[in-house]
Amino acid sequence: MAQVMYEEATRVYPGSERPAVDTLDLDIPDGEFLVLVGPSGCGKSTSLRMLAGLERVDHGRISIGQRDVTHLAPRDRDIAMVFQNYALYPHMSVADNMGFALRVMKVSKDERERRVREAARLLDLEEFLDRKPKALSGGQRQRVAMGRAIVREPQVYLLDEPLSNLDAKLRVQTRAQIAALQRRLGVTTVYVTHDQVEAMTMGDRVAVLKDGLLQQVATPLQLYQHPANVFVAGFIGSPSMNLAEYRVEGEDAVLAGVRIRLAHETLKALNDEGSDRVIVGFRPEAVAMVGEGDAGSMTFPVTVTVVEELGSDAFLYGQYADTTDPALRENTVIARVDPNAPPAKGDRVRLRITPGKERVFSTATGERLPA
Amino acid sequence: MSTPTTPHPFTHRRDGPGRVVLKNGQAITAAPPGVPQSPLEASSRRSRWGVRVVLLVALAWTLVPLLWMLLSSFKNRKDVTAATPQVLFPPTGQNYRNLFTGSNNLTPYIWHSVLAAGISASLAVCLGALAGYGLARTPMRGKRHLAFWIISTRMAPIAAVVVPLFLIFRGLGLIDSIPGLVLAYLTFNLPFAIWLMSAFFADVPPSLEESALVAGCTRWQAFRTVILPLTKSGLVTTFVLCLVFAWNDYAFAVVFSGPNSQTLPIAASQLVTQTGIDWGQLTAIGTIVVLPMMLAGLAVRRWLVTGLTLGAVTGE
Ligand SMILES: Nc1ncnc2c1ncn2[C@@H]1O[C@H](COP(=O)(O)OP(=O)(O)OP(=O)(O)O)[C@@H](O)[C@H]1O
Ligand SMILES: [Mg+2]
Repeated sequence: MAQVMYEEATRVYPGSERPAVDTLDLDIPDGEFLVLVGPSGCGKSTSLRMLAGLERVDHGRISIGQRDVTHLAPRDRDIAMVFQNYALYPHMSVADNMGFALRVMKVSKDERERRVREAARLLDLEEFLDRKPKALSGGQRQRVAMGRAIVREPQVYLLDEPLSNLDAKLRVQTRAQIAALQRRLGVTTVYVTHDQVEAMTMGDRVAVLKDGLLQQVATPLQLYQHPANVFVAGFIGSPSMNLAEYRVEGEDAVLAGVRIRLAHETLKALNDEGSDRVIVGFRPEAVAMVGEGDAGSMTFPVTVTVVEELGSDAFLYGQYADTTDPALRENTVIARVDPNAPPAKGDRVRLRITPGKERVFSTATGERLPA
Repeated sequence: MSTPTTPHPFTHRRDGPGRVVLKNGQAITAAPPGVPQSPLEASSRRSRWGVRVVLLVALAWTLVPLLWMLLSSFKNRKDVTAATPQVLFPPTGQNYRNLFTGSNNLTPYIWHSVLAAGISASLAVCLGALAGYGLARTPMRGKRHLAFWIISTRMAPIAAVVVPLFLIFRGLGLIDSIPGLVLAYLTFNLPFAIWLMSAFFADVPPSLEESALVAGCTRWQAFRTVILPLTKSGLVTTFVLCLVFAWNDYAFAVVFSGPNSQTLPIAASQLVTQTGIDWGQLTAIGTIVVLPMMLAGLAVRRWLVTGLTLGAVTGE
């Protein structure tokens, strides 16, 4: 068990100009479950492989448990890794696959068998111990890959999209199991995924990456409620946050009849920036359907284009009504509505942004403005 | 590779005309006899017959000369030169006995062949595996060109390299020695071995050895315990192909070898004398040359077949 630290860690692949991971600073305390999330190609796997020693660190350093491992071979780092394609050894039985690391570490045969059996029991793999990986289902292979990691007692677990080859239902099940397992074992874990739902449900903290740059590290709730910039705001949450550019008029941000009073701090920051535009975002659940007669400053009419009914929830997708602005007509508004009384497609409804739930970002930098 | 295939529950057997019974007892009744089959089925049946005929011709083309050689080697001097070759004749082992008695005893020739071919093929596989692994895994610029250059050294005709090699070998005192022959075969087999093995290694997903590295292996341990076992068919294929080349070689042996290193093909050629050809002994030697390679091929054919298709090792 150990703390993991990235300090300005950078990786530039030969032949490319832009770093795949750019001056990454990340402090992962002992026992934490940290999720690295971001769109495809943002450098998640590269970050993980740098920690594993499978990828060179071109600049900066990485330490595990106060020990600088930047230039150590993978075998000297005391880590266990689960690969996206599982990387099971096809020529070995499940038991040999799971006991492989212990055999390399010259753990006695009895001890090895005991630990493999224990892990197999934990993962419900006992009846498959003599099989070859070829004769297993996708879910079973995934569990063998997990088993190979947990028979060891490493300082850190590294998992690279371990669930991406499973079907949707199994993925939800396994994700809960992995999170529970990690909490029980208490070993520091770095988990890579491109699925923000996975990130939000599993991680103690979530680090969001984009184009090799760290955008924000925070608890899932903080990320959701206080995104540091427009990218995080749009990436985290499903359905995603409603974002649109507003004009600043006096103390208000204005768009098609919606007037949002900006905080004093926000206005000051805008003034420093010398900008008369802001990006305003609000979550689908931060809007409520109100009567047509209610014409407060934070209400606006929309025409419903799609209604998504999920049983426990319902979402409406609509377009701003009564507007001639072509950009706005393209902008889809998403709102959570009462699943027992959802509007119908084609309806015209009036929505109201819950005051205080709006988030304001700079148009120039995309950063969130102080409020 | 060796996992027994469990019978598929839906494997079927034909059960009288038009009826197919699945393993689970369920019966499917096909169209009654006499009803024309679909054109697709008929054409696939026709093409299957076509394939069979082609295979039969190829088989005869390959086997008839070998069979003729085998039969001739058991014929006496009169039978072997008979105007009308007989399939039935009184067999004699005299040709073989002659080969191992008297002045031209074949035993040293066999020994030289085994040594030169065996050692050179083993070396080619070992070195080829190491170099091929490096070639497959090291990221470098112009790797494709390097690989092509390596295999291109094999494309030169033997005649073109024999003379320079002879001069070099004479300088090094390697003429008429087994190490000389081994080295000569290696110059030809190694590029091929490297090239072939690197294709096999490239087929193994890198995450397998990365997983081994993380599990605590050194590079060498990962190579030995994970990569090599997965490329067994590649190793066997490479070994057999190198072995066959060295075993059958005449061009190098006739130039580089002397009394201390002459191989079987040289012995065979010496039976062609000015006074005539001893067909009985010649076919007996031919049989001795061909038989071990055929047996070796048969023994490893399970790996050879998957090897030549550069088999899947991912286990997925
Ligand atoms: N071996 C390599 N050589 C050159 N560039 C690479 C290499 N591996 C990755 N890259 C580049 O580095 C960037 C980050 O790749 P990385 O694999 O870390 O992305 P990722 O976040 O894991 O994406 P995904 O979710 O698709 O797995 C990408 O732009 C990719 O093209
Ligand atoms: Mg990845």
